[in-house]
Amino acid sequence: MRNALTIAGKELRSYFTSPLAYVVTVLFLGIIGFIFTLGILSRPQAQTDDLAGLFGTMVFVMLMLTPVLTMGLLAQEKSSGTIELLMTRPVRDWEIVIGKYLAAVALVLSILVLTLEMPLILEIGGDLDWGMVLSGYVGVVLVVMAFLALGLLASSLTSHQIAAALIGIFMLLFFWLIGWVSHSVSESLGDVFKHISVLENFLDFSKGIIDTKAIVYFVTLIGFALFATVRSLENRRAI
Amino acid sequence: MIQAEGLTKYYGPHPAIVDVSFQVAEGEIVAFLGPNGAGKTTTMRILTGYLPATFGSAQVAGFDVAEQSMEARRSIGYVPEQVPLYTDMRVRQYLGYCGRLHGMSKAQMAERLEYVTDRCGLNGQLDAIIATLSLGYRQRVGLAQAMLHDPPVLILDEPTAGLDPNQIIEVRNLIKSLAGDHTVMLSTHILPEAQMTCERVMIIDKGQIIAVDRPEALTAQIRQAETLMVRVQNDTETVARQLQDISQVAAVRPAASPGAYYVDTEIGADLRAQIAEFIVNHGWGLLELRPVEMSLEDVFRELTTEEKGVA
Repeated sequence: MRNALTIAGKELRSYFTSPLAYVVTVLFLGIIGFIFTLGILSRPQAQTDDLAGLFGTMVFVMLMLTPVLTMGLLAQEKSSGTIELLMTRPVRDWEIVIGKYLAAVALVLSILVLTLEMPLILEIGGDLDWGMVLSGYVGVVLVVMAFLALGLLASSLTSHQIAAALIGIFMLLFFWLIGWVSHSVSESLGDVFKHISVLENFLDFSKGIIDTKAIVYFVTLIGFALFATVRSLENRRAI
Repeated sequence: MIQAEGLTKYYGPHPAIVDVSFQVAEGEIVAFLGPNGAGKTTTMRILTGYLPATFGSAQVAGFDVAEQSMEARRSIGYVPEQVPLYTDMRVRQYLGYCGRLHGMSKAQMAERLEYVTDRCGLNGQLDAIIATLSLGYRQRVGLAQAMLHDPPVLILDEPTAGLDPNQIIEVRNLIKSLAGDHTVMLSTHILPEAQMTCERVMIIDKGQIIAVDRPEALTAQIRQAETLMVRVQNDTETVARQLQDISQVAAVRPAASPGAYYVDTEIGADLRAQIAEFIVNHGWGLLELRPVEMSLEDVFRELTTEEKGVA
């Protein structure tokens, strides 16, 4: 685990030595802040209702930004050959994957902390249901952690960063849109689609409900994506 | 210190190396010599744990590279052909990261950092961003990274590739100076490099080891006779014939320049003094007399053509 933390520290530092972390932070806060402001201006009375929309927006913007944060994590190591350095150290493959993942999670969590001003502003405007704020954030954090795990998997599949980002966005859209498809297929199949849809599992959180089933879903999805990433690294050895 | 037995690696249906076996003793410097694509990098990647072998096994410092991978990796310092550097980092940060991945403590790190900086000639470059370094310095950072955790074994894949002549000499001297402290295995496709830096050469071609020996022994193995080159001032038609008559001289062949001859003598015979005296006594005017060393280049060509003949 110590090795994973070493790798996480190094990755976090390189996020901030490149413009990537700053660009993503500014883009995210800009878009979220803009939509939030529009919402307040159009309906000055509403408070708690705005939150559900705010969390939904956060998740959707993250769907497009997280693959950009994860695209380089493994793909760049492969294209520059540094993967050979990493994989010949006394470091296990899973430590590499967890280290990279933790760095991305830490970065995104710190970006999310910066959005806390928005519920605070709503609190000033009137009384706010903090329980709902909590469940919303739990939901957003779980969704984003799943996005990052899938993005990391995408990054392990190619040595081309842009390709990794595109594969990542495609995978996230799949897990997002499959919820929509669920309405237009047979009921039993639709149920399956709903259960594996990120969107469907997230909706309850944004309404203030913390559902164990949804938590299990996200933990499973994260676990699966990270496991697949480790296997993908191992597989690269076997080629 | 390094032991490989029957290493075979397939990429799909194509074998990259076939039944590669060898041993490297402690403190030895060994060159892995072969043309590009012969299987040098594949073999090194198997030893360092980057790739698994399809068949066969290997041990480094007594640890099986597949079964005891972590222990084996701790015993190895490795510089791949493409030096693996994070170009956005400073040299100090980079080496610090490598050290931490080897579980080195702060105190160990401080001590070893000073040592490798000194040894690899990186003084004054520790705070440089790697992207700004020349190829020669990047190679040194690669070597520093490999030596940092004081591994008994160093594996260097084409350590002089892409360097200018001065840098090549510096890197070769550095590698030579490691003899004794470390067991070094380096790969190269440059024959004189193997001859200059290494005590033993393994020649690999098309994924198979075709010869292993000391550079001198390899040349001797191929060479049927010792050869001297002589050049005289007053060349006459009888020179060659009269030289031929000296005992133990096997053959005399004219060389390219006028008055020059190759004199093949029986193996083990040193006729230099005798021939010099003979030429002087005949008043031919001795201009030059030297033994002709068969270069590894010749050995290599000989061995690889033989191989082609078999196939």
